[in-house]
Amino acid sequence: MQTIIKGLKTNRAFALFSGLVVLLLLIAIIAPVISPYNPLETIMKNAYLPPSAEHLFGTDKLGRDNFSRILYGARYSISSVLMLVASIFVVGTTLGILAGYFGGKLDIVIMRLSDMMISFPGMILAIAVAGVLGGSLLNAIIALTVVSWTKYARLARSMVLKIKKHDFVEAAVVNGGKAAHILWTHIVPNILPLMVITAASDIGAMMMEMAGLSFLGFGSQPPAPEWGLMLNEGRQQMQTAPWLMIFPGLAIFITVAIFNLWGDALRDVLDPRQEN
Amino acid sequence: MKKIVKTTAAAAMIGLLALAVAGCGGGVDKKQAAKDTFKFGMTNFDDSLEPTENYFGWSVMRYGLGECLSKFDKQMKTVPCLAESWKVSDDKLTWTFKIRDNVVYSNGNKVTGEAAKKSIERTFAKSARAKAIFEYESITSDGQNVIIKTKVPVATLPGMLGDPLFIIIDTSVTDRDYAKQGPICTGPYMVKSYSKEKTLMEANPHYWGGAVPFKNLELNSINDTTTRAMALQSGEIDAAVNIAFGDLQLFQDKKKFHISEIGSLRDVLARINVREGGPLSDLRVRQALVSSLDRETYANVLLKGTFIAGGPYLPPSVDYGFDEIKKLDKNTYNVERAKKLLEEAGWKDINGDGILDKDGQNLELDFVYYSGRAELPLYAEATQSDAGKVGFKINLKNVDYNTIDGMGQRGEYDLMISNVLTMQAGDPEVFMNMYTRTNIDSSNPQNGGGYSNPKYDALGDQLIKEFDYAKRRELVIEMEKIAIEDIPNFVFGYPKTNMVSNLSITGAEILPCDYYWITTDIKPAGAK
Repeated sequence: MQTIIKGLKTNRAFALFSGLVVLLLLIAIIAPVISPYNPLETIMKNAYLPPSAEHLFGTDKLGRDNFSRILYGARYSISSVLMLVASIFVVGTTLGILAGYFGGKLDIVIMRLSDMMISFPGMILAIAVAGVLGGSLLNAIIALTVVSWTKYARLARSMVLKIKKHDFVEAAVVNGGKAAHILWTHIVPNILPLMVITAASDIGAMMMEMAGLSFLGFGSQPPAPEWGLMLNEGRQQMQTAPWLMIFPGLAIFITVAIFNLWGDALRDVLDPRQEN
Repeated sequence: MKKIVKTTAAAAMIGLLALAVAGCGGGVDKKQAAKDTFKFGMTNFDDSLEPTENYFGWSVMRYGLGECLSKFDKQMKTVPCLAESWKVSDDKLTWTFKIRDNVVYSNGNKVTGEAAKKSIERTFAKSARAKAIFEYESITSDGQNVIIKTKVPVATLPGMLGDPLFIIIDTSVTDRDYAKQGPICTGPYMVKSYSKEKTLMEANPHYWGGAVPFKNLELNSINDTTTRAMALQSGEIDAAVNIAFGDLQLFQDKKKFHISEIGSLRDVLARINVREGGPLSDLRVRQALVSSLDRETYANVLLKGTFIAGGPYLPPSVDYGFDEIKKLDKNTYNVERAKKLLEEAGWKDINGDGILDKDGQNLELDFVYYSGRAELPLYAEATQSDAGKVGFKINLKNVDYNTIDGMGQRGEYDLMISNVLTMQAGDPEVFMNMYTRTNIDSSNPQNGGGYSNPKYDALGDQLIKEFDYAKRRELVIEMEKIAIEDIPNFVFGYPKTNMVSNLSITGAEILPCDYYWITTDIKPAGAK
């Protein structure tokens, strides 16, 4: 935590991107206050209106205000991606630590499972899983967790294997430390920074995958104002009502870019081995 | 150093992007001296040209390859094609079709009564669907005549033989892979090479109907509507079918494009589950639901006028008293009426969540749809919103097209929307019965919603036996009146269908019957 505060003071890029991330989160939180319209309110006679002072980003196929939908979309998109990254982080890291620390049969089972998952193209497997579960935001999160946890498991396992050989761990074992205690006080704190960096820099990529699944109809379902879904809905009017694709596309682009840059900056701050 | 690398990389990326964008634009104005190839963009579901398999006969006919004894004209009347005339015996069981004397297959063989007989027999041997259309006692031939004796009177037999399933093919040809090369038929064009993505056709030198306008056809499967529209804009294709509602306005410039648009024979039909226990078993709830939907606005604004607002079972493009029945529709858009009806039916919002409830149950409906056709999700979402305004909670269920049929038969829906053909073999009999006639022990499996009305069934029984067109029409209109009153199902709208062409060709007109796309009426511009 102290490194982060110090980073905010010394690393200008990190401070800037952190500010932008906070701004994004703020938009998501106060969307109901700043939205000029209800994102679900349809006034069908107003369908496909181009951007104007009244409707900044135009209206969509059911006459809903596109600007309000994009503001609300920040809630859906950002909260779902944070949930997704958190669940991958917890599942992957836990399994990786267990496999690395205890080894033996547990290690073999977890790692072979992970090999199996890795041998499929991720997005296709996610589509299959989401397809079987049925399209919904929660199912999309489950599907992407199922295909993405392996990266964290492998990373955590390899680091645990390295740390396990260090004298201080062996000393703890010799002193009669219980496994849970050793894991919690000696292992986890040592691998956490790198895992957090990985998770932070994955937010952007995961957001793309969530939007991708929604675009294909396996994620959020109508009438939710989710950006990927909005992109797909706008696709049929690509030439006649381009604002329906441009603005959700821009929203995804900007958000992903901010999170990616922030992830990079966070790595610079947290990881002492990286040169700035 | 790092900065220089980054800048260079960024510049390179921009350059590449520019190049990619430029690549998409080119190749518009390539005027040919004499246009002998017609390039067509279409949707395509077939992966074989075997006419008896699945519905692939439709493609064989659409491509200008196969023809039947009869065909359907612009008013959907059954008119002669390969057969020049037909008559039925006094006992209504024996039909005699006289085949034109000048009809030959594309290999030069003459189409005789015997050849047609063998082709029809082949269809029956290979397709189970044929038996569902009609059953014959015997088929014989006599010179140019084919004589078909049916087991029971079949009023619409000539129309049924116009179904692409009964394309007349040369069965004496055995050294051909019909699936890959197509059968030998009588149409203006014949297959040069076939694949799901692109089919090349060439003129049939023996065509019986006169000169064939193009030497070659290039039939491109472009199933994505946006891509199809762009291909037509860029001149990659000369004409395309079914330009979607979102894109049609791109082709309004009369100096560049010709739009041929007509009301189709299709309905966007919502099937209703009226079984006991479901909220829609109550007629008042059904009336309220339909009254809550602004079908005029859906058709005119959301779908940009490419649909006609729904009402009667049969579309206005066919002559079954559309205007008369439409006047009887009490459930046109009226929010107040919808609210009142629901109140009368005992639905109230007790817990204040905006959803009406009764006996602790929310007024919740599962709305099953598929997204293969662009209008269906739109109708589904519009329903969710509009019905929501009077207190329904509509749960949208987007399912794969292939599961629709099974779900429909098992009744796994409250509402199910699909785009259906109302005229089969030029006649609405099949459609009128399909989703509405009482289903006893799977006697009418498509009626999974459980609707049953003895009066409707009785009219349907009469319809099957009636030969006289005027009386048939009356029966159908009576059935439609029951349907609009009792709402076993309801119609969201009637799609218009279109063919858009650029001005290098003429005569690209869409016909009401879905079976015909490529005809000899499509000619190079300037040709006589």
